[in-house]
Amino acid sequence: MKYQKIFILATLLTLCVCFFLAGCGKKKEQAAEVLNYRLKWLFNISVAGDLYADDQGIFESHGLSVAVKSGGPERDAIKELEIGRAQFGVASADQVVRAIDKGAPIVVIAQLFQVNPLQWIFRQNNLAIDSPEDLKNKTIGITYGGNDETIMRALLNKQGSLADKVKLFSVRYDYSPFFTGEVDLWPVYRNAEGIVMAEKLHRQGEAAGFFNPDAFGVRFVANSVITTRRMISEHPETVQKFLEALLQGWQEALDPRNAKQTIDMVSRYDKETSRQIIAKQLDSTRNLMLPPAGKSFGWIDVASWTETERIMLDQKLISSPVGIEKNLQQITFDSSQ
Amino acid sequence: MLLQCSELSFQFPQAENPLFSGLNCQLPSPGFHGLFGLSGVGKSTLAKIIAGDLNGFSGKVSRDDLNAVLYSSNLERLPGWSSVVDHIAKVIPSDRRSGMAELVESFGLRDYLDSRFSQLSLGQKNRANLTRYLLQDFDLLVMDESLANVDEATRELIILKIKELFPDKYFLYISHSVQEVSKFCDTILVLRTFEKTPQIIDVAGCNYRQGGKLDKKCLEQTMLEIVNAS
Amino acid sequence: MLHKRIWQFLLIYILGLGFLFGLKYLLGLSDYVIPGPMEIYQTARYNSGRYLVDTANTLSVAFVGHLLAILLASLISIIGRLPNLAGAMIKTAAYNLQAYPIVAVAPIIFILLGDGLTSRLLIAAMICYFPLLLSFIGILTTPVPDIEHFYITTKRMRWQLEVKIRAFENITKLTTVIAGSATLAMVGTIIAEFIGADAGIGYSLRISLYQSDIGKVLVALFFIGIFNSLYLATLEGVGYFIQKKLGISREG
Repeated sequence: MKYQKIFILATLLTLCVCFFLAGCGKKKEQAAEVLNYRLKWLFNISVAGDLYADDQGIFESHGLSVAVKSGGPERDAIKELEIGRAQFGVASADQVVRAIDKGAPIVVIAQLFQVNPLQWIFRQNNLAIDSPEDLKNKTIGITYGGNDETIMRALLNKQGSLADKVKLFSVRYDYSPFFTGEVDLWPVYRNAEGIVMAEKLHRQGEAAGFFNPDAFGVRFVANSVITTRRMISEHPETVQKFLEALLQGWQEALDPRNAKQTIDMVSRYDKETSRQIIAKQLDSTRNLMLPPAGKSFGWIDVASWTETERIMLDQKLISSPVGIEKNLQQITFDSSQ
Repeated sequence: MLLQCSELSFQFPQAENPLFSGLNCQLPSPGFHGLFGLSGVGKSTLAKIIAGDLNGFSGKVSRDDLNAVLYSSNLERLPGWSSVVDHIAKVIPSDRRSGMAELVESFGLRDYLDSRFSQLSLGQKNRANLTRYLLQDFDLLVMDESLANVDEATRELIILKIKELFPDKYFLYISHSVQEVSKFCDTILVLRTFEKTPQIIDVAGCNYRQGGKLDKKCLEQTMLEIVNAS
Repeated sequence: MLHKRIWQFLLIYILGLGFLFGLKYLLGLSDYVIPGPMEIYQTARYNSGRYLVDTANTLSVAFVGHLLAILLASLISIIGRLPNLAGAMIKTAAYNLQAYPIVAVAPIIFILLGDGLTSRLLIAAMICYFPLLLSFIGILTTPVPDIEHFYITTKRMRWQLEVKIRAFENITKLTTVIAGSATLAMVGTIIAEFIGADAGIGYSLRISLYQSDIGKVLVALFFIGIFNSLYLATLEGVGYFIQKKLGISREG
């Protein structure tokens, strides 16, 4: 009897909270004057353009009020978009594919990185890794469950029996297995900690090399800008303006003429990294983000997206094809603006 | 042997008035002595000072050859992890085993020895506690309401047994029963509030013993003196 | 006691799921944000065996870590109860050290000890150690005058006896604290696995979160809850049995 009463009370309470939250969610979306933009990661070089657009008043000049919010391992922009807490966000391609597989009403409106920055650092003094074949008998670090596992497995599978000839090592916070030589290749974001680790090796008199699966045909897309279908259908102008401002921010941030300004700005947000490192990170980021000739900044590489979907399907990370191309919407801008 | 308190003064830290002020008392010879007084007058505190369990007083407590002074009270408990007999057996010298049997028998505890302390009645608990104290090496044993919750007949049996078994020891028996202290005690220290001088008055008791004859007149006289003194 | 704990957990779990489903359907959220009942069922079907083993693994580490913490807390509080400099120092250190969040220290532990069993054990033990220590110190430094007086006055008091008396007199409090800290041990192990280990349900949870697979998270939470309830109920049962054996009656 006692449990029954508790159960009924708790159920009623749950329903009340649900109704309350449901009300809140809708209200927020309708009355959102400030656009919330949830990033994928913490404030560092990888979000330089996002910060630049905010810092230099580019969003404002487009008549927008945007709150740029830092991401992190526990943040998921897609979930925030669905709940209505954010209107725009940055997500990795695998997140996007998984979300679409589960019915999330999201659309990719720009692809930030043209080359995936997730690569493997190695000590060039000891190793020469020029092709996947060179990975034979090497110990390769991967984060189980992470993007890097998917990418490395895709590469190994592509090379036939190579998977049986490498040793995989579970990677965590501690980089010491790499520096002590226990692990030969360590996954890094080429433009962020890749630079820091390369510097460390350089100080020890060693040269760092980077193994890039993209160069060997594993096209796995990285971060992209996303929004909801509803946002596109109900507020197309806002989406247009937002993306225009954002891409302008990125282009200006990466423009070598604005390098000092960008480094100053990133230094303000990322106090742990020295200006010299940030400068190198900026150069690296530029190389990874600039589109191929003839394509505009933010170009969505549909072929890479389809390849990403295929890799995930092969590895059973999704149960059936999702038709990712239907969820990619390249927005074009009037060049006179 | 002589127990003497000279010019004892004591005040609890938060109290407005002293509990004792220039208190003097003595127990000149061994025997079953009493300490009587109204509630709150400081009987237990004085007993603890005499036993050396409480410091922070001024004045002097001379114990002469009274090397082992123990304070027992009705608030004490035996640990609960094993039976009463196990506990008592562990805390007495091996040569006192026979003494233990005699006390246990006299105190009416035989049937409860295998019980745990928590399973005993209040009276049984007090008797068990007193038993272990009586089996220690002591010169003076303070019995602070040690026989509370024990019926009158059993109390009498116990006190007479103590007097019979330990004629050379000092006892200071604290009780609220005027009749009891008058009947069994040798000297009764009547403790009064600090405003009264002297703070302690000695009254001679009837000191009734096993097989002796109680002088009813003495008893009445002693009781009257105690009541008047307190 | 066992069924009570299990029912309590199931009630909370079902209410939690109900709340999530309520949100899902009211806000029209996709399966990516909150998976539907069918997806959770399918996830449970395919992953239950693995998660069962993972949770048992976590529980075994939590159990050993908990045991270590109890032993260490007992030892330190026995020293900490001393009314001298060593005791005072131990107490001060114990109170100050608890201010450090273990989650912040955990990565250092993994760097020093690797991501194997030792780190998981240590973190599990550390997380449940401080509440245990504070309770143990509190219990062991508080005299029980009505029992201790006799032993002090007859000069029979030894530290072992003093500890025994104080522990016995607070056995109900001790068993409650030990049972309560069992949850912390489990939480500590899961956190350790989540942060840096390469086994256990915490590790599986981390992978599920990497893959944004809330269905797996919910299934993992179910097993964690069930195992935790079992562990709690077992400890409470042991505590009850000990108290019954010692003839201590339960109040209230």
